[in-house]
Amino acid sequence: MRILPSARPLLAACALLLLPGCFHLFAGGGGGSTDFKPPRRVDPADVAVPEGYRVEVVATGLSYPTGVAFDDNGTPHVTESGYSYGEDFAQSRLVRVEPDGRLTEVAKGEHPPWTGVTWHQGAFYVAEGGVQGGGRIVRITPDGRTTPLVSNLPSLGDHHTNGPAVGPDGALYFSVGTATNSGVVGPDNASLGWLKRNPAFHDVPCRDITLAGVNYPSDNALAPNTARVQTGAFVPFGTETKPGQVIKGAMPCGGAVFRLVPGSTAPELVAWGFRNPFGLAFAPNGRLYVTENGHDVRGSRPLFGAADYLWEVEQGAWYGFPDFAGGKPVDQEWFKVPGGEVPKRVLQQPPGTPPQPVAVFGVHSSSNRLDFSRGPDFGHVGEAFVAQFGDQSPDTGETMAPVGYKVVRVDVSNGVIEDFVANKDKGSGGPASRLGKAGLERPIDARFDPSGKALYIVDFGVMLVKAKGVIIPFEKTGVLWRITRAAPEAKP
Amino acid sequence: MRATVLAALAVLALAACGPARRGPAFGAPRQFTEQEQEGRVLFMRHCNQCHPGGAGGLGPSINNKPLPALAMRTQIRQGVGAMPAFTDEMLNDTQVDAIVAYLNELQEEKD
Repeated sequence: MRILPSARPLLAACALLLLPGCFHLFAGGGGGSTDFKPPRRVDPADVAVPEGYRVEVVATGLSYPTGVAFDDNGTPHVTESGYSYGEDFAQSRLVRVEPDGRLTEVAKGEHPPWTGVTWHQGAFYVAEGGVQGGGRIVRITPDGRTTPLVSNLPSLGDHHTNGPAVGPDGALYFSVGTATNSGVVGPDNASLGWLKRNPAFHDVPCRDITLAGVNYPSDNALAPNTARVQTGAFVPFGTETKPGQVIKGAMPCGGAVFRLVPGSTAPELVAWGFRNPFGLAFAPNGRLYVTENGHDVRGSRPLFGAADYLWEVEQGAWYGFPDFAGGKPVDQEWFKVPGGEVPKRVLQQPPGTPPQPVAVFGVHSSSNRLDFSRGPDFGHVGEAFVAQFGDQSPDTGETMAPVGYKVVRVDVSNGVIEDFVANKDKGSGGPASRLGKAGLERPIDARFDPSGKALYIVDFGVMLVKAKGVIIPFEKTGVLWRITRAAPEAKP
Repeated sequence: MRATVLAALAVLALAACGPARRGPAFGAPRQFTEQEQEGRVLFMRHCNQCHPGGAGGLGPSINNKPLPALAMRTQIRQGVGAMPAFTDEMLNDTQVDAIVAYLNELQEEKD
């Protein structure tokens, strides 16, 4: 084979791409890195659904909506978060969606972000995230009377109190995310806002753990222009740890799923060792499934290539945080940031053997709230429908193309994932704002109505990510969508 | 000889870095052979996180690469750039063949 001399430098350059990989050259393709000028346009014609299904707009103008639930009349009610990354605080609310799409306030409150809602025996149950004031689970009657059931959950950091969902046992299940990306408080937590509000906050294990004494250097985000600090796992920022150091477990803890039996205000631990178990749902067979947002490439202990996961929850199991991701130990090449070092484990001994995930979603897809189809009229009975908020690249780590921004369905028997609702596009997909269209932005909840015939999608609205630590959300851009199965055409 | 190796590497590099494309178009459900279905399940466990649905994500799109099976196998076994290598312990040869069969099916446009 003869190559022209003039082509050799080009070929050599291409070949060199193989050595460091092309990731660095082609990264920067996240879906949030775009521009947007309100108002948001909304048009179902820009949304693709499988043949035989149709998509409609139910309500627009929602501010950071996060969850939907239905009262006994089938009327949808939506939680508005009251907070978005970017440190944008608004009013947390529960609103009723009237048949004509108007929004009527049912209740408002504190402890943002409100991350989800469910309906059970005549009342709404709301997960108050608690980036301010700590997490709570509250009961709200249809006339707006609010009663806290659980308070002071350790949700002051990166991730919040999530859920809730009612189990076949009648108990209320909810979750609490971890304070940090991977167990170590770092400068990234200052850019997220909470470290300066709560300088002593850190991850809290549910059981006693023994540390390996691994510490991470960083700039002192609490005292700029001073000496660098060392920080270990499960301790406050700037605190070093030693090999063999025991961190006492506590309740309530972070990175865990809890249950609250009727009449009790003391949560019971169901499972722990999650990073951010955001979505909780029970399958028709009564098993609990949880989505987990995986590690990011940020902070003092960044991890590369950690996916989001769907777990079937086993009572009492430990799911791996912060030394395992998706059942794999993190101290291997798979999780090494390109150009960086293989991550070290922070635990001397893992407190259990993590299970294997049911399904593996795209890295940075932010796979969030979910529901299971129960209705033959809708189809795919027993499959999970998962709302994917979409990547927050580059804040959480670079990607080569937009990830998420759609609703997928999962066959939990084999882990196969298929797109179900996404924006029409011939390219890489992504949010409508990036595509210049009027479809989906950031789906955060997918929930079937009581009839099982309609899948409602809560779309958080526009949230741009312009650079590391620069997140720009837009109020009143949230949308509630509805997917139904069109009646089959009558045959002659 | 060097030029041949260089050219082969260049083709691989370009194949790895091609433009991203979304997953399979919405349309008629695909029919998979038994081998393709096995590859589909394996793909979801081992590959989907970086190439969701075969489209671009953390890594490049791999549902639009007209690569011969040999090149795909090499890429899986050796890894490319940020993509790690899959050892025999992770995936045996039969499983790699199944994933390649699934990827070949994905590359067929079905509208």
